[in-house]
Amino acid sequence: MRRSALTGWLLLTPSLLLLGGLVVFPILYNVWLSLFNKHAFLPVQQFVGLGHYRYFSTDPEFWASFRHGVVYAGATMVLQIGVGVPAALLLNEAFRGRNLLRGIVLFPYMIPTIVAVILWKWLLNDSYGLVNHLLTTARLSDHAIPWLGPDYIMTSLIVTSVWQFFPFVVVTYLARLQTIPPELYEAATVDGASAWRRFVHVTLPQTASVLFVIVLLRSIWMFTKFDTVWLLAGEGGVSKYVRTLPVYAYARSFTYLQAGMGAALAVIMFVMLLVATAIYFQAFRGEETFA
Amino acid sequence: MARKFGVSRRHFLIGAGAATAVGLGAAPAAIGQQTRELHVWHTEVEPQTVKTIQDTSIAEFEKKFPGFKVRQQALGWGDLNTKLLASLAAGNPPDLTHLNPFMTASLYTKQLLRPMDELIRALGESDIHEATLKLQYFEGKYYGVTHAMGATYFAERRDLREKKGIKPPETYDDMLKLCAALTEGGRYAFQMPGEKLYMGFVHPAEWLAGNGGSWVDPKTWRPNLNSKPMLEALDYAQKLNKFQPQGWAGQKYLDTLAALANGKIAMAHLSGARTIGYIERYAPEGTRDPEHFMPLLRPHGPGGKVGISALDGENWAVFTQSKYPNEAFEFLRLFYKKEHYMAYCHTVPIHLTPIFKSMINDPAYLANERIKKWRPWHDVMVNGLKQNRFLPIGFSRPDDNLLPFLAELDGSGIVADMVVEVMVGGKNPKVEADRAQKRAEELLGQLGAKRWS
Repeated sequence: MRRSALTGWLLLTPSLLLLGGLVVFPILYNVWLSLFNKHAFLPVQQFVGLGHYRYFSTDPEFWASFRHGVVYAGATMVLQIGVGVPAALLLNEAFRGRNLLRGIVLFPYMIPTIVAVILWKWLLNDSYGLVNHLLTTARLSDHAIPWLGPDYIMTSLIVTSVWQFFPFVVVTYLARLQTIPPELYEAATVDGASAWRRFVHVTLPQTASVLFVIVLLRSIWMFTKFDTVWLLAGEGGVSKYVRTLPVYAYARSFTYLQAGMGAALAVIMFVMLLVATAIYFQAFRGEETFA
Repeated sequence: MARKFGVSRRHFLIGAGAATAVGLGAAPAAIGQQTRELHVWHTEVEPQTVKTIQDTSIAEFEKKFPGFKVRQQALGWGDLNTKLLASLAAGNPPDLTHLNPFMTASLYTKQLLRPMDELIRALGESDIHEATLKLQYFEGKYYGVTHAMGATYFAERRDLREKKGIKPPETYDDMLKLCAALTEGGRYAFQMPGEKLYMGFVHPAEWLAGNGGSWVDPKTWRPNLNSKPMLEALDYAQKLNKFQPQGWAGQKYLDTLAALANGKIAMAHLSGARTIGYIERYAPEGTRDPEHFMPLLRPHGPGGKVGISALDGENWAVFTQSKYPNEAFEFLRLFYKKEHYMAYCHTVPIHLTPIFKSMINDPAYLANERIKKWRPWHDVMVNGLKQNRFLPIGFSRPDDNLLPFLAELDGSGIVADMVVEVMVGGKNPKVEADRAQKRAEELLGQLGAKRWS
């Protein structure tokens, strides 16, 4: 017994070493780094303890970035589900061209983020963009709307992100829909349930577990989303209006050249997500288990 | 199941073993012939420039040093800075690179640069234009040499201004009057680029320089973001804003050139001689000449005597960590060899104005077709140099080359946030300037650059 346990540990050792080196060590190193005033590219550092954390607790930029992150993650998550779930329900029905449509729906998720952002920046440009052209041609607006200006940049960012990421919801939800036994719908229909009641009493309970995971994953991913935000507005004068925590952490590390502060922001985000996830699990534990 | 066309495991292993043996046998010879690589990074991304460097300086260098291969990489500003930071962090920077002058002091103070006095003397110290000679001069030694000079300025529709009977503006007030006159019929007077680097660093530096201000107090390094010159400049910028398209802050430098070419604006706020190529490709037929498009130097504010424009001119630098520093200096000697250097400058005429005073007026240099056609643009450059109308990018005064934190100030976006709030948000300049001042003081404190009490 003892010998087999030893063999087991020996077999596990490579995996544990890999995990430790690739996952645990970077996290611990990041925590350690956050305790120093460390230049981004020079071996110049000074121990400051929890100084960076104290600084961020009263830093208006930090709180503005946090607010932007919450608005961005919340709005995009709700809209992705609002668009993705009906689309999945539609694609679960039998109709001609369904397979083609399933492929088309996946398209935004398949293209690289840089392409998606350039495409949307072109569409929304207020000098030559198609969106303004259509709006003015249809007389819905008498002037070009500055979609990429301060007043609309968050809206544009949310629209771009929802367009790019809602297919994930479609695919995941559709996969679960396809495993619901048809007998449940047949029984509900025999009992005289309308389409809406079938959705509420059959589909929703059956898909609650997958919705639980979608909300969790999409919230985390959108809260930590960097590339879309940075590419759309990161280097521009309007970045202030959509600066989320990952962008602020990047800026502290690589444009302010304060690696220690960037590390502290990463740790703060990590803790925030841990706490939010724990609360989420606690609040929805019941719903998660009944499916 | 019968195997029809497969390879047996035994045959596969024999084949693989034989291939490995052959490979290993050949390896010593290959190692013996290994060429050393000189890594050269620069910011001139035009294909014709890259090709010219390859065909002239690199070709001659590789002939002279047979064991070496030069690897040039052309990168945009932003990419270069990011890549440089990563390479320095890894302790493996290129042997030779372009640097923005506002980054040089920061790297010099960290003892990352090698002096190059011998090279400067060999090139002809007295022949190098004063506008660039001492930008990388610290404690009696040279730590860089500018590759070429290109002024930035407004590119205006000269014909539209002249139709209004208005002279080139000298002051902020003149510029506001010109903008009011040119904004009509759905056309805006001008457009500023929305990139943070320009609207949040390059232009505010020009505003300060042209209004008797500076980024920081020269002695204490305390930021001057809420000083009178900056407040006056912000007030000017806020008034200017109504003469440009609403969404400018979300658009880029090239968008402004497109807007100039298609007649949506009468002036592009940021332009250089590179714009000529754009005008020749995209402006309407019959307008692609200096009669219609001309540079316009910056106006000055109430506290300044002359408007200041940014001079685009990165310097070559050799790092202390460079693997082949001597060869890097040898490469530079070949780069500045007259025939190589003139060919290089001719790849983007006027934008790459030579640093050598003797060459700027050299008939061979001026014989270039584009310089001949666009001679008034060259003259603006030469006159601007004579009248001290240019400062390096991001400098508010000549001595800013000694500030080791300009790169961090630019990167922080503190100034950009202030400008966008004042111009686009219409906020009170004093309130925003005070906020920016507080943030800048905090930043300099964090960087260990606080000299005031």
